Amino acid sequence: MQDQDLCAAQNRGVRELGAEKLVGWDEVQQGVVINSFEGDATGIVHQKAEERIYSDFNSYTATVASWRVQKPVFNIDACIDCQNCWVWCPDSSIISRDKQMLGIDYDHCKGCGVCVEVCPTNPKSLLMFAEHTELDTALSGWPEKTKKEEK
Amino acid sequence: MAITSIKNLKEFSTNNDRFEGAHLLCPGCAHSMIVRELMNCTDDNLVISTNTGCLEVSTAVYPYTSWDTSWIHIGFENAATAISGAEAMYKARKRKGTLKDPNAPVKFVAFGGDGSTYDIGFQWLSGAMERGHDFTYICLDNENYANTGGQRSSSTPVGATTTTAQAGSHSYGKKEKKKDIVSIMAAHGAPYVAQLAPNKWKSMAQGFQKALGTEGPCFINTVSACTTEWRFDPKDTIHITDLATDSLMFPIYEIIEGHELNILYRPKNVIPVEEYLAAQGRYRHLFKPEHKHVIESIQKEIDQKWEMLQRREEARI
Amino acid sequence: MAEKYEIKETEVWDGNYAISQALRQAQVDVVAAYPITPSTPIVENYGNYVANGYIDGEFVMVESEHAAMSGCVGAAAAGGRVATATSSQGFALMVEVLYQASGMRLPIVLTVANRALASPLNVRGDHSDMYLGRDSGWIQLDAFNAEEAYDMTLCAFRIGEHLNVRLPVMVHQDGFLTSHTAQNIHPLSDEEAYGFVGDYKCVDEMLDFTRPVTYGAQTEEDWHFEHKAKQHKALMDSRTIIDEIFAEYGNLTGRTYKRVESYLMEDAEVAIVALGSSVETCRLAAEELRAEGVKAGVVAPRCFRPFPFDAVREALKDVKAIACLDRSSPGGAMGALFNEVSAALYSTQARPMVTNFIYGLGGRDFSVKEAKRIFMEQKAHVDAGHITTPIQQFSGLRGPKLGFFETKRS
Repeated sequence: MQDQDLCAAQNRGVRELGAEKLVGWDEVQQGVVINSFEGDATGIVHQKAEERIYSDFNSYTATVASWRVQKPVFNIDACIDCQNCWVWCPDSSIISRDKQMLGIDYDHCKGCGVCVEVCPTNPKSLLMFAEHTELDTALSGWPEKTKKEEK
Repeated sequence: MAITSIKNLKEFSTNNDRFEGAHLLCPGCAHSMIVRELMNCTDDNLVISTNTGCLEVSTAVYPYTSWDTSWIHIGFENAATAISGAEAMYKARKRKGTLKDPNAPVKFVAFGGDGSTYDIGFQWLSGAMERGHDFTYICLDNENYANTGGQRSSSTPVGATTTTAQAGSHSYGKKEKKKDIVSIMAAHGAPYVAQLAPNKWKSMAQGFQKALGTEGPCFINTVSACTTEWRFDPKDTIHITDLATDSLMFPIYEIIEGHELNILYRPKNVIPVEEYLAAQGRYRHLFKPEHKHVIESIQKEIDQKWEMLQRREEARI
Repeated sequence: MAEKYEIKETEVWDGNYAISQALRQAQVDVVAAYPITPSTPIVENYGNYVANGYIDGEFVMVESEHAAMSGCVGAAAAGGRVATATSSQGFALMVEVLYQASGMRLPIVLTVANRALASPLNVRGDHSDMYLGRDSGWIQLDAFNAEEAYDMTLCAFRIGEHLNVRLPVMVHQDGFLTSHTAQNIHPLSDEEAYGFVGDYKCVDEMLDFTRPVTYGAQTEEDWHFEHKAKQHKALMDSRTIIDEIFAEYGNLTGRTYKRVESYLMEDAEVAIVALGSSVETCRLAAEELRAEGVKAGVVAPRCFRPFPFDAVREALKDVKAIACLDRSSPGGAMGALFNEVSAALYSTQARPMVTNFIYGLGGRDFSVKEAKRIFMEQKAHVDAGHITTPIQQFSGLRGPKLGFFETKRS
């Protein structure tokens, strides 16, 4: 099951792209220089996303969820924490903590399906479903382990 | 914990992302797989420059940035020079003692697509390599100008169709050979040059770390499968890249100090290039009977190149 | 630490040497440059200081002028003092990056030895390159002689790096006429010069890892206009800061500059408006004509950008006829100086007569005699009560007279 606490970090995925407040010329940054964080960002590399204070200009605070037609659903029961999905996710949307796959960041996932393709388990621990599918529905119909075809 | 070696993927996955989501790259784009891996394989501070291209127009569209490190984009051609300037300023300020934190480790990295690397930014890249700045240049090679809708670049391989080298009743697509950027960069005498691929994540991470840890100008060409212009399903990015490396269309190797060549991946079962070509829309026309000879000549080129790489590796010179 | 460079109270330097000394005294952190005639000696002199330990910063010799300015932008964004030099074709090759530097609000100093633009190829001084930069968002200061080239370069750092300005600054001098003509110069001591310029103040530096910054983001129709308006406002507002810094420099050196210089203008009836070394030619002409009873004066924008609309209007408001001299082929229009001075004067009650001379292209000599002739032509307009010649004329050109447009005010 996805870790809902991680997904609920306050300053993330809240704004649709293009829905920002349009401020006047007197309020935009000098030289169009954007800061990624609020406050001192020293050692940001050692902080997990939920520990960081992102600025409103960091795309982490925006969402591309509306791009998705299909979504990957994660079934923790089949997962072996191989982290294939983590390393190949092009949208930084696999939430892994302490070598464990916890779930999908649906604010940033575009539904490309790469994670499902690279998942090596049997049955797969990630499968694509239509965007509107409830998680419970998806998980309840999860396929059984398939026997290897004889070569 | 300093990120010094990456033994396995589980260990690698404990690193925190410094390349953020909600960028505007296409679903399934390999660019961000490569960029994420570069940024995740080090915990040093990074100063990054990026040429105009897919990566740039997708990661810094006001009012958003997807970069958690200092980043600059000037033009289509000059990321190598922008990073040269930043690196020179670092050296000057370190000597003069005006850096805020003089002990903070910092690495300088430039990204460019094949359009900006092989074509419009070629001179700027060559200049920066010759001057010996301490930086790593990473080419995200998707073999076309994808940002502007798929025009041919000098990286586009023979037989691929692009909007400006189209396949048609009188053409099988691009006729000119792909420029051998890796050899050209090695000929600059660069201390580390490599061609890497994101499907082989470990050799890619190790190559990135080697380049970042090597003083002087390093160059890495990475194959970046382009779902939009190569025409394959976004979910298949890694599969297509597997075909690229296992058909030896994209051999994975490094060249140290301009001469010492090491092959970093030898496919157990080399697949015919036909399989790689057949998986992509940009090569579909080659399977017409009149263009079959093109596939044969592509295979021949691959075989010759692989032979050459092996011989050079054996020669140890 | 850089070695001590001995300089005397009075030196005999040409414009290029004077500028390279100013760069050394300002302790520039990074110079990224590519040589081109006639600015090359600036870079060569700098290379001499590097080779002999007089400079602590980095000297990056790149492979083109486009790369020179690209390197300057990268260096400036990394937080430090940056300068370079160029001319003509090199300037033209830089243009793409000039707009990037000003848009990113990076206080780079570019010293330009003005030279004509090809084709046909020409290495001599005219103002084609200076004019090419006029919409690039840079502050443009104009030196009329070698000592002023030194002075303007020191002032350029102070102005551009001022926290309320943060814009790149060009220092222009005429190629060869100023860049290669040695004259007596009274430089500041190294201590005084650096004391005036001051330590570089970082703003949004890429090397401050407590605060990572993104430079060069894309802004489309929802944002581009606001950002460009803010940049324009900063350029317009730099006028008062330029005045302040010129005044401070005057206190230090006794050489007080103004955004618009006026010579013999108190009771002038006719005036020439010019840029570059021709200003000194026109001053001599005006002095000689004064002796002959003609009330002639000279007005010279020291600051070409931001264009001193206010100060030009003030300087010329009581004059009856004005000749605006443009040393750049106008490409199918009136000269830029004519257009801008005319626009400023259009908002006055008097609306004096203004004519335009295209002159000195490709380094063609401009003499005191010709300046006097132009003054006298203005006098003729005043006496007639209207413009008696074509509004745009070519001065110093062989062949039949070339001119365009008649006045509609007679």
